Amino acid sequence: MKFKKLKLFVLTIITAIFISAGAFAETLKIGSMGPLTGPYAADGNDIANGVRSAIAVIEDEGGIEGFDKIELFAEDTACDPRQAVAAANKLINSEVIGVIGAYCSSATIPASEVLAEEDIIMITPASTNEKVTERELKYMFRMCGRDDDQSKAAVSFLKYKKAKTVFIIDDKTTYSQGLAENVAKGCEAAGIKVILHDHVNQGDKDFSAVLTKLKSKAPDALYMSLQNSATGSLMAIQAKRIGIEATILSQDAVYHPQFIDIAKDAAEGIYLTCGFMDKGTESYKNFIAKFQKITGTDKSGAYSVYAYDSAITLLKAIKKTGGTDPAKIKEAMLKMNYQGASKNISFKENGDSSSSYIIFKVENKNFKNHWNPETGELFSETK
Amino acid sequence: MIQEFKSKGKNYLIGLIWFFLLLWPLLGIHSDGTLSFAKAFYVWFYIFCASIIVVTVYIIHKKGLTLPLVKPLASATNKIYGYAASMPKPVLFIIIGVIAFLFPFFTERYAQDTAINVLIYICLGLGLNIVVGMAGLLDLGYIAFYGVGAYTYALLNTLYGLSFWLSLPIVAIFAGIAGCIVGYPTLRMRGDYLAIVTLGFGEIIRIIFNNWMQLTNGPNGILGIKPPAALIPSFANGFSFEYLYLKKLHYLYYAALLLAVFTIIVVSRLSASRIGRAWEAIREDETVAEMTGINTFSLKLLAYATGAVLGGIAGAFFAARMRFVSPESFTFIESAMVLSMVVLGGMGSIPGIILGVIALIALPEVFREFELYRMLAFGASMTLMMLFRPKGLIPSKRMGVRSEEKEE
Amino acid sequence: MEYFIQQLINGLTLGGIYALIALGYTMVYGIIQLINFAHGEFFAAGGYMGVILLSFLSANGYLATNPWLCLSGSIILAMIYCSLLATGVEKIAYKPLRKSSRLSVLLSALGMSIFIQNGLMLTQGVYDKPYPSIFSGGGFDFGNIKISYMQIVILLITILLLVFLNILVFKTRIGKAMRATAQDKTMSSLVGIKSDRVISITFIIGASLAAAAGIMVGMYYGSVGYNMGFVPGIKAFAAAVLGGIGNITGAMIGGLLIGIIEIFGAGYISSEYKDVFAFIILIGVLYFMPTGIMGENVDDTRV
Repeated sequence: MKFKKLKLFVLTIITAIFISAGAFAETLKIGSMGPLTGPYAADGNDIANGVRSAIAVIEDEGGIEGFDKIELFAEDTACDPRQAVAAANKLINSEVIGVIGAYCSSATIPASEVLAEEDIIMITPASTNEKVTERELKYMFRMCGRDDDQSKAAVSFLKYKKAKTVFIIDDKTTYSQGLAENVAKGCEAAGIKVILHDHVNQGDKDFSAVLTKLKSKAPDALYMSLQNSATGSLMAIQAKRIGIEATILSQDAVYHPQFIDIAKDAAEGIYLTCGFMDKGTESYKNFIAKFQKITGTDKSGAYSVYAYDSAITLLKAIKKTGGTDPAKIKEAMLKMNYQGASKNISFKENGDSSSSYIIFKVENKNFKNHWNPETGELFSETK
Repeated sequence: MIQEFKSKGKNYLIGLIWFFLLLWPLLGIHSDGTLSFAKAFYVWFYIFCASIIVVTVYIIHKKGLTLPLVKPLASATNKIYGYAASMPKPVLFIIIGVIAFLFPFFTERYAQDTAINVLIYICLGLGLNIVVGMAGLLDLGYIAFYGVGAYTYALLNTLYGLSFWLSLPIVAIFAGIAGCIVGYPTLRMRGDYLAIVTLGFGEIIRIIFNNWMQLTNGPNGILGIKPPAALIPSFANGFSFEYLYLKKLHYLYYAALLLAVFTIIVVSRLSASRIGRAWEAIREDETVAEMTGINTFSLKLLAYATGAVLGGIAGAFFAARMRFVSPESFTFIESAMVLSMVVLGGMGSIPGIILGVIALIALPEVFREFELYRMLAFGASMTLMMLFRPKGLIPSKRMGVRSEEKEE
Repeated sequence: MEYFIQQLINGLTLGGIYALIALGYTMVYGIIQLINFAHGEFFAAGGYMGVILLSFLSANGYLATNPWLCLSGSIILAMIYCSLLATGVEKIAYKPLRKSSRLSVLLSALGMSIFIQNGLMLTQGVYDKPYPSIFSGGGFDFGNIKISYMQIVILLITILLLVFLNILVFKTRIGKAMRATAQDKTMSSLVGIKSDRVISITFIIGASLAAAAGIMVGMYYGSVGYNMGFVPGIKAFAAAVLGGIGNITGAMIGGLLIGIIEIFGAGYISSEYKDVFAFIILIGVLYFMPTGIMGENVDDTRV
């Protein structure tokens, strides 16, 4: 035990040095919140790394006038409302200007109420619950798309694939379930029969029962709405093992290179909806270069890109106003319209951002642009 | 001093070698088919250096060389203890009360927020103390009652618009019923069979919260819960009372303080009563307790119900303070945390549990500085605290040695 | 009917996995009555060791030429690794507390569990790790019913381990010593059994079983993650208690039963409530049989 105690001791000293070193310069402080520990740590770290990349990019461009440097306070919420509120209060004490986060809606909602009391801007890269922006909080923004936008793309793709029946599985989180319900509604309206809308629980690893049920019903398509990519790959592997031939469609939480790494062959041919990411744009290249520098890998999921765009938007707005007045920053953000790494970024009055979902297909261990729901056409490279 | 080194040295070296054996495969074998030694060695070397320092300091301390440094400190703390002990109890309580009352005037919101959490968990810890510490029934699903309380208030408030204080008795009734439901089938069981059944109940209740869409709104949680309201004296236009929702943190802090004080009084009165003594008799030896005419069946059920009521009230306050409830707050790990607070503080001892709560709520907040290493440090310190104080930080005076443990 | 058989196979596999973990769990449990929260973490560490060794071997090309040798070698190394880990944990966190209240040890175990889980997260990263795919594919087809090789392997290994452990406990000297220590530590030390050593050996056996289970599960599901030990740890605890504490055959039956109930609950009634069914049956069984299915006489042990 000695050693572990020592590790702790060493850490204390190291952190103490860091903290004391950072205290002098005129710094711009921004915060990020997400589950850095616990079962969703992967996505929480993606978010923090996305924000770090954004800060590195802005500092490379010469930083922000009036500030020597930008400092990030990455707080852990563990997806627990109580710890999320504690983290929000901690960030307020640290006098941050804006916060990127949180991940789970159940952490974002209570934390945003606390931050709102102090007029701190909050941009969530991942919480899709419509209530996040519908509470008339002044400084609440959302970078990811809403459930209703994404479900429209999913339904029109199912229609394009001429699916007559669909089996829906979600894993009982605010995000996955909300999306699945919207898809179910959309399918009914479009004349696609929802055979069954089944749920599994978060943290489950074995989906053989529900997949066997699915196989016996023989639907044309399976809509797989899951909270994270690891669960997605587990389900894909088991679906292949059990011999499911339906078209499998999933969503942006599964858009992570990890999904293909784990599921391997089982991932091939799976479709998913995600925001249109043009990997040729300047901003995406900037992002991926910094992301690689920070994490040592260029494998970035959707959450990193959303977090990156959120942070860039916030920093750009601060740069434009040249100060830290939240009302002015908000105004600047609402006026914004530029090509970000994930999409063309502009905000609506209520804080939601615009979104353009397309269909990706996993081909040769890569996510390929496949079909555009707006034009109803295949992308040229896949033709 | 050299001898000291020699006697410790062997174990110390074995420990270091063992630690390196554990560390190297995790850091040194790479999936691209290469082996590396540098990284694991660096990590190990840092720990090695730091541990040498600590071991040296420890040995010097053992030899009594640090006495001139430690002695004044120790005598000062002893003096304070002695002073506190010689003071009449009411005076002590008043001092603590005044400190608790003045706390928000000197602190910022982060500290106040942590303090509110501490107060809520004091209620929870004392509630669980009735079941585990006093009646000796291991309960791994206690957080379920907290959840029942939180959801009952959330539903009463959002559906029927009932205010916090009016809801409290209803919350207490619901939580008490839930306590009886959980308690009844477990009465025949003992020890770890009891543990798994309570764990099962806790999970069942959480899964129901997560899946009963019509009632609880599932994983989306319930929004728009009103905070508690109170008459606040206002000096704006002369002296008058204003009916206000307690949204500001320091008002919430006082409400939490009120609840915690209420719980402390209830539990301390209970432990001094006939019922409390009967619970302790059941804990020490159930068979003998039954022989002496204690109705173990109804008393055990009462222990569950009382614990549940206190947990439920804490839950209602939690819902009112967060203005939001969702099933994520009521997982098994929370039950384990509350149990840890009780055990760490010292089962059956009220000041001990308060200290235990402060330790386990404050530590993760203190460790926030470590970012990713936060929970690592937390886990290690939990084991360490147990190793140094196996009976708890402030053990209860009335805890006997139980038959099966006496043998060893 | 086909549906029923397929679900039964699914249930047996899942139950086999629970039983694999529960076997090691119940060994430790039987001897020192410790709810060893860290057991799930040994299981995860075993899974990680497997993935580290197998991907190392596969990158060097050994895996393709000698798959069976590599696999068995990795399993043995992972078992040794977990034994080292478990001895360390036992010496540091459990042994000094042997004379204190059982709840103190429980808390110490919880601390260790959090520590190891986060240690794995920090050293191995937050993302799940993929297992090299060698044996995971393939299987038998009977009409619409599919049985994969891995499913058969898991069940076979569980049964083999059951037989092996029963022989170990009931036919060998060390088994006798274990049973004696479990019964009464003072008495057994009076007749010359080194109870500390017996407990250490039990820990080593338990942890190696967990390591083997970790690799099996990793290969079956295709990946391992740092928090993979938590839920199976609780399920294994439930299985061990359902079967009767400290009873090896009971743990196996308990594990299979919980697996089958979960799968049938999910397959026939509702998959979001499957854990509820498992726990309700657990509570029901314990209500009528307060010491589990195979449990022996009521002992007076309490908290």
